[in-house]
Amino acid sequence: MQYEFDWSVVWRYRETLLDGLLLTILLSLAGLVGALALGLLGGAAATSRGRAVRGAALLYVELARNVPLLVHIYFWYLALSFLKLPAFLCGVLALAVYSGAYVAEIVRAGIQSVPSGQRAAALALGLTPAAALRHVVYPQALRITAPSLAGIFSQLVKDSSLASVISVAELTFAAGVIEGDTFRTFEAYISITVLYLIVVTAVTRAALLVFGRRGAEVDRRF
Amino acid sequence: MDFSVIVRNLPYLEGGLLVTLETAILVILGGSVCGLALGLLRTSRSAPARVLAAAYIGLIRGTPLLVVLFFVYFGIPPVIGRRFSAYEAAIIGFILFIGAYIAEDYRSGVLAVARAQREGGLALGLSPRQVTRHVVLPQAVRLMLPALFNQFVRLVKFTSVASVIGVTELTGAALAVNARVFQPVPIILALAASYFVLCALLSLLGRWLNRRYALQP
Repeated sequence: MQYEFDWSVVWRYRETLLDGLLLTILLSLAGLVGALALGLLGGAAATSRGRAVRGAALLYVELARNVPLLVHIYFWYLALSFLKLPAFLCGVLALAVYSGAYVAEIVRAGIQSVPSGQRAAALALGLTPAAALRHVVYPQALRITAPSLAGIFSQLVKDSSLASVISVAELTFAAGVIEGDTFRTFEAYISITVLYLIVVTAVTRAALLVFGRRGAEVDRRF
Repeated sequence: MDFSVIVRNLPYLEGGLLVTLETAILVILGGSVCGLALGLLRTSRSAPARVLAAAYIGLIRGTPLLVVLFFVYFGIPPVIGRRFSAYEAAIIGFILFIGAYIAEDYRSGVLAVARAQREGGLALGLSPRQVTRHVVLPQAVRLMLPALFNQFVRLVKFTSVASVIGVTELTGAALAVNARVFQPVPIILALAASYFVLCALLSLLGRWLNRRYALQP
């Protein structure tokens, strides 16, 4: 080993790293909102009684899950290049559609794991079908799915690194910039690894905290 | 839409497909071995081994695949003074990456095997190692089949990321064709369809194996 480590580059390029970190967080948050919206819709559709609706949900989940995220990204960025979407938006759309399929599967499993007696009891108490879903089934389903959703969210943060390929200047891209400037590849990639670890841990903890607390409220009410 | 561009470039794309398949098979084999070894360490009786394995698994699971690949391809060579080809770096990176995930599945498989099975094996006079090898492992593997195939499907999708460090697998080949003719719509759609077929076939294989060999609880 003749390599001499020079960790001062991390401090010198702190602004590049922080800008990248900020964009990674923004990208993940935007992707998360989209994935949640698509996933809740898809999960509800997959448990609906309409056959066509169920079929459409299944089609979406299978198509989105069985294609690599990178190909999703190129789909928005290259195949739809005539739309001239900004790279950031392409990244968000790809992340949302891809992760949304996973969220849909989790939501579907969560809804199906709520005993059917809960819904029947709610209807018997005079709630409308929509109110029964909203006040009885979905809150319990959300609580059951919390750990899996937390897993998806941390996955999403990591997946957002692929947006660097279409030159969204997020964290992985920042490491590339430092590497290009200084040839300090080892130090650059170690520092972004640590930053990803911090964000992923924070996201997982926060998701469990938020969903876990809501679950506790449901507990107390029943 | 004109798909003739796919037909005209078929030999080149087929070459890419072969690299993707080869990568996937090598990484499925290597990743399973690496995952098994890590999983054994993770569930071993030695505390330092458990802690080390847990630290490695936690580190990898908190890091994006692309960063692991860049790390192996760009980060490590200057430190150890030896370069990897892009293909070698991709294989090493994928195995290191997927091994951490398979190790966790392996751990939950081992934990799911009833405690009494291990005790029964010990009571019959098998050594702890023999119990692991002949009693716990065969059951754990059958319990973890669905999770294992989930990882394999993920892995096939992940191989596309190798194109970023310059491996001409399926995605790399498709992008190269697109760079020459610029017909992104048919090329990307055909690319997506190819991965869809690969992943769907692998899922079906997993489901078939699971029907045949899964433990009935």
